[in-house]
Amino acid sequence: MLGTGLLQGLAVTAKNFAGSFHDPKRLTTVEYPEKKSVIPEAFRNFPFLVSENAEDPMGTLRCVACQICEKECPPQCIYIEKSKDKKPDASGKMQIYPAVFRIDSSVCMNCQICVEVCPFDAIKMDHVYEIATSERFETLLLDRHDLAKPNSYFHQIRPLEAAEVDGRLTAERKAAEEKAKAAALAKAALAAKPAAPAPAAPPKPPEQA
Amino acid sequence: MNPMPTITDEERSELRRHGILLTSVEELYNWGRSHSVWPLQFGLACCAIEMIAASMARFDIARFGSEVFRPSPRQADLLIVSGTVTKKMAPQVVRLWNQMAEPKYCIAMGACAISGGPFKRGYNVLKGIDRFVPVDIYIPGCPPRPEALLHGLMELQKKISGQSISGPEAPRHLRHDTSCEYPVPEFGDHDLVPPKNPEVWKVPESPPKD
Repeated sequence: MLGTGLLQGLAVTAKNFAGSFHDPKRLTTVEYPEKKSVIPEAFRNFPFLVSENAEDPMGTLRCVACQICEKECPPQCIYIEKSKDKKPDASGKMQIYPAVFRIDSSVCMNCQICVEVCPFDAIKMDHVYEIATSERFETLLLDRHDLAKPNSYFHQIRPLEAAEVDGRLTAERKAAEEKAKAAALAKAALAAKPAAPAPAAPPKPPEQA
Repeated sequence: MNPMPTITDEERSELRRHGILLTSVEELYNWGRSHSVWPLQFGLACCAIEMIAASMARFDIARFGSEVFRPSPRQADLLIVSGTVTKKMAPQVVRLWNQMAEPKYCIAMGACAISGGPFKRGYNVLKGIDRFVPVDIYIPGCPPRPEALLHGLMELQKKISGQSISGPEAPRHLRHDTSCEYPVPEFGDHDLVPPKNPEVWKVPESPPKD
């Protein structure tokens, strides 16, 4: 019959209108500036750089300026300059660090490809969306000081992913440490062995691994 | 000559608590303007979907006085450039902007409207609407959440409330030395002619920070 669909729709509207007086579930509006809607963990809005330590964010960036994200970024919004010197990273290994790391957030399209290609878990997606501004050039071009956020923040916004990343990184660091220890032991054994039986023949220097 | 007696913000809010409304013409004028910003019903791409979502019940842009999406630029105060501006569309966007009556404001919503975004390297996309139209608020994101649009609108309201209605800092429509007419580019053989409006598009010369 003509008009039944319209009546059905109006009935739903009337039900919600009347129901909203006693059932808070029918109040659909999120009172935005006072209350914020719950954001799912996988929500992504602009990348940030993970630093291990909140006190010294520039010294403990996980990024080693390998520039893979810069090359992979589809809209080419990342700009990296490698440092000339090296600094120890979280596991004590000497690494290059980014002297300049900029992301133009006016170009970034939140595709998460930089996160997916990063072999060091150094860049992750953020949850911040209140970034409207009246200055295009000053505030939308983010440098590494703006981008660096501590690992604790990463745990706060993405607890599941952060726990997984931390577990993997500690396991990797442990494995690397054990490997280094084993290599040092083997080297010492190799150095000690030829010295004992044949003092006449000069021992060959152990080959660099 | 005695200086004008001034009243601090704390004293004013204290008076308000007692039911006495003391205000200035400027404040009243800006309050009225900033809480009835009517946007133009105009969407270009996927950011427009988020703009529509912002106008619906869940995010409810009506709480900010901006629910009246006008279908005519003559009745609109706010141009929300929501989406990719192709070079073929750019003259029409600037024409719509020219047809809007002052006071008018522009929000560039999303990466494409600000800079061309993912299509920045394409031959057919304008690299930011701020080459032709003075943009008041930039909302980065691809697309920004409806809340981000509401936040941008709140920033615009803050900007409007901060404007003085006289003197050299007055907004465009209260001054006589500025024109509200912006040259409309033409879709030429290879590019827009002219490719940008140098009066609007100003790149800072200072090198970026870091």
